[in-house]
Amino acid sequence: MMSFSDFTTILPLVVLTAWACVLLLVDLLIPRNRKGITALFSALGLALTLGLTIAQLGRQGSGFNDMVVLDGFSVFVNALLLVSGLLGVALAYGYVKRMGLERGEYYTLLLFSVAGMMLMAQAADLIVVFLALELLSIPLYILAAFARPKVESEEAGLKYFLLGAFSAGFVVYGIALVYGATGTTALSGIVAAIPSSSTLMLTIGAALILVGLGFKIAAVPFHMWTPDVYQGAPSAVTAFMAAGAKVAGFSALLRIFATAFPSLGSSMSDVLWALAALTMIVGNLIAISQSDIKRLLAYSSIAHAGYILMAFVPFGNPDVRAVSVAAGLFYLVSYAITNFGAWGVVIALEKAEGRGLALDDYAGLGRKYPALAAAMTIFMLSLIGLPPTLGLVGKFYLFRAVIAGGYVGLAVIGVLTSLISAYYYLRVVVIMYMREGEPTTTSEPYLNMTTAFAALVTVIVSLVPAPLFAWASSAVLKLF
Amino acid sequence: MTISQIIFLVVAGFTLASALMVVTTRNLIHAALFLVATLFGVAVVYAILQAGFLAVVQVVIYIGAIAILFIFAVMLTRRDMRDRGPQMNRMQWIGALLALLIFIGLSFLLSSWDGYSAVAQEMPADFDTMGRLGEALVSPDAYLLPFEVASVLLLAALVGAVYVAYTRR
Amino acid sequence: MDWVIWLIWIVKGFFLAMFLLVGFAYLTWYERRALARIQVRVGPNRAGPFGLLQPIADAVKLIFKEELTPAKAYKIVFFLAPIITMVPSIIIAAVIPWGPQEPQVKLFGYTISLYVADINVGVLYLMSIASIAVYGIVLAGWSSNSKYAMLGGLRSTAQMISYEITLGLAFVTVILLAGSMRMLDIVEAQRSWWFVVIQPVGAAVFLIAVLAEVNRAPFDMPEAEQELTAGYHAEYSGMKFALFFMAEYQKMIVVSAIAATVFFGGYLGPFVHRWPLLGPIYMLIKIIILLFGMIWVRATWPRVRYDRLMAFGWKVMLPLALAIVFITGFGILLAQELGDPIYLTVIPAASIVAGVIAVIMVNRALTRKRILSYEPR
Repeated sequence: MMSFSDFTTILPLVVLTAWACVLLLVDLLIPRNRKGITALFSALGLALTLGLTIAQLGRQGSGFNDMVVLDGFSVFVNALLLVSGLLGVALAYGYVKRMGLERGEYYTLLLFSVAGMMLMAQAADLIVVFLALELLSIPLYILAAFARPKVESEEAGLKYFLLGAFSAGFVVYGIALVYGATGTTALSGIVAAIPSSSTLMLTIGAALILVGLGFKIAAVPFHMWTPDVYQGAPSAVTAFMAAGAKVAGFSALLRIFATAFPSLGSSMSDVLWALAALTMIVGNLIAISQSDIKRLLAYSSIAHAGYILMAFVPFGNPDVRAVSVAAGLFYLVSYAITNFGAWGVVIALEKAEGRGLALDDYAGLGRKYPALAAAMTIFMLSLIGLPPTLGLVGKFYLFRAVIAGGYVGLAVIGVLTSLISAYYYLRVVVIMYMREGEPTTTSEPYLNMTTAFAALVTVIVSLVPAPLFAWASSAVLKLF
Repeated sequence: MTISQIIFLVVAGFTLASALMVVTTRNLIHAALFLVATLFGVAVVYAILQAGFLAVVQVVIYIGAIAILFIFAVMLTRRDMRDRGPQMNRMQWIGALLALLIFIGLSFLLSSWDGYSAVAQEMPADFDTMGRLGEALVSPDAYLLPFEVASVLLLAALVGAVYVAYTRR
Repeated sequence: MDWVIWLIWIVKGFFLAMFLLVGFAYLTWYERRALARIQVRVGPNRAGPFGLLQPIADAVKLIFKEELTPAKAYKIVFFLAPIITMVPSIIIAAVIPWGPQEPQVKLFGYTISLYVADINVGVLYLMSIASIAVYGIVLAGWSSNSKYAMLGGLRSTAQMISYEITLGLAFVTVILLAGSMRMLDIVEAQRSWWFVVIQPVGAAVFLIAVLAEVNRAPFDMPEAEQELTAGYHAEYSGMKFALFFMAEYQKMIVVSAIAATVFFGGYLGPFVHRWPLLGPIYMLIKIIILLFGMIWVRATWPRVRYDRLMAFGWKVMLPLALAIVFITGFGILLAQELGDPIYLTVIPAASIVAGVIAVIMVNRALTRKRILSYEPR
């Protein structure tokens, strides 16, 4: 029989979904030129859900016949996702108005997507993982095409949709094979059934799931869609997509591989090693030649997927699993915050018709808008991993965990590619301060707040990282 | 060989042949019609497996709704009903090879699976598949959550589809 | 005796098919006479007494007519389309029960059940066959390679798919009330009250959706003469045309039988459980009355404009159908929880309120100034 505890495990999720459905109706009553009200309502819903999520802190449990779990990990990831959603709404508030995209559906779809991401963090059954994956992706496909009939945006939406559907096929095939091997889709059941099941089928199934989720997190060689989609989609969408989809994808990967397939550690670690290394190298190398800030950030996002993947490599090793999961979570936070800040600056400079996006448009920013340029410098430093920023702390924890797991080579590759990345990130800084130019920006209260918030968090948390890391360390996965 | 085996072989052959025709025929409408035949074959396979509900739902949803929308879309978008141009592209042999390899791999995988040689039991005549299915879909001890998430997912897709297709006046 | 069972099946199927084929012929006569009466005319009265031989004369005429195949038609599909239209309209009748299971009907020592097939997903079977019926029309429209036919085919597809959803939801109310998808169970569940009493709005929604599903007036857009000459069968002549014609009238009979079964008590009537052979007679009476309703509608209402038809389907019928499904479920749950079937009266009361609201809203939308002084843009 249904008990109330089933619902309390996913209470934030239920509230958010219901809020999105109601928002869909409320939006009908809001006049067309005042859709900002919808944005405020959606932000209110996200904030409420964030409160409920924080209230779940320290609780453990599972519900709906073990299809969802509530643990420290899911609360941490959900909180991060909701903050991403809030920042996404804040970035979009002025941007969509300025670009003539102000429609109520934007916020509803965003809420649905956040709900999908949250479900992904809590899912403990492969069926739920798949549904959550679709629930987070489908709104994102639409959001990527939101600026239709602008051709770039339509192209982005279509590309993302086709490749997303393709990758979802991999996930389903993988799930089918895992089900065939173990006779269940529940993660707990899979762990129990592994000793008596066909390893080959299980490995192939796990590999296919990895491929499918690899598309979502834009790991090389499944990254081809990323630059075009990030460039074509409206910038506010890209900012949300880069942070949210990545966090959700990684949380699902972490949960599936660390709780259901730890026994595959020996065979999968090498694959993940190669994947992480390849992603870091390719992402950073191609980023060097970009002259468009959106493409540059897209390749940077690919490269960062590689860094986060490093946290997975030792997933089969129980001694370092906890510390590497914590490092991965910490890095996700640092990447999400920095990412939103950087996109905030991009949005401030972007103008209609896709102007204001070339690197050259940033020339002279340091003289004319010193605060904005300073913020951008902080974000670039954080993306490289230089002090005094969150990026440095994140990389430090990550490399430490990887070395503790015995993968020194991977850590060396990480450090070297970070050095490469300094070249193109610092180029932005150089252009801002050393070149003459007359950039124009748009100043919007919520946008400025977002950027300032991101900059402050990036600096302040880097000075006192211990509490956040302690929280991440306590956010352990519930094992079966 | 029993009668049901013969029926199965005939149906399976029919399904596979029409599936092959879907990808090889040049005319898009013909492809859509062969797809209908394939889906119908699958429905019959369900019926042979005593999954009456699935068989009928397969017909209602896939044949009655999805395939008809395919045909609808083709009829609306094609100016010239006679499709011209090459049917295959240069990758055809690579594609065929890949498909063959995957087929061999999957057969190998399946043959190592212990359910491969197991014989399914006959269902008791009064077995209430419909009731079981209905309860499984809405029982919190079974699949309530995926069921509801799927409906939210469809709602989101619906909103998105309307947004993408809507022409602003 | 295995072969006897087969024989009984074949004979029953044969009777059913013959009933539909002959019924079709006399339905045309019935319709023409009824229409004529409504329009203060006489109707066919020359061939035989009361014109009863008119359908035979028509058949002879159609058989001897020249069959044309358009030069650029897709021959195979063009040939198959009338058949594909015809077959579902007959096989859909297989699950309709014509009499009660108890007491059994004995004939030459064998038990004869008064239905062809009794499957536990009867309602879904109806839905699936109804959804296949679209293909004949689409294919006819497409294979004729003619613009009128094509447009007729497209229109009918869109229309049938749209109203199928409403139809399905109307079926859902019946399934909820009966607690089963078997047609026999559905009829037996109506022994105390016909479902039309418990769910009157559901019956109304069902009948409207069914009119659209069989492309009858006022929803006969696929064959709107003024716009599309004859719609999807514009290029057909002779017996192929006759097949379409037959299919349409057989569908009328069949949907009347279905409506009678799911909402009007099917074979139920006085003494039917003592003399089961009364069942088919009651059924026939109900079918004839419902058929008259369809003809009456055709005589009374003008054709609906196509965009209005789709708007009506999606914006009025679908929400209303959803509302009555919700109301039905709610009422049943209420009656179950409180343990008193009297609470089932919530269903008709609330449904009628919902129906009245829908009618008022349609009325308001139609009497708005912008619509009354409508000018095409």
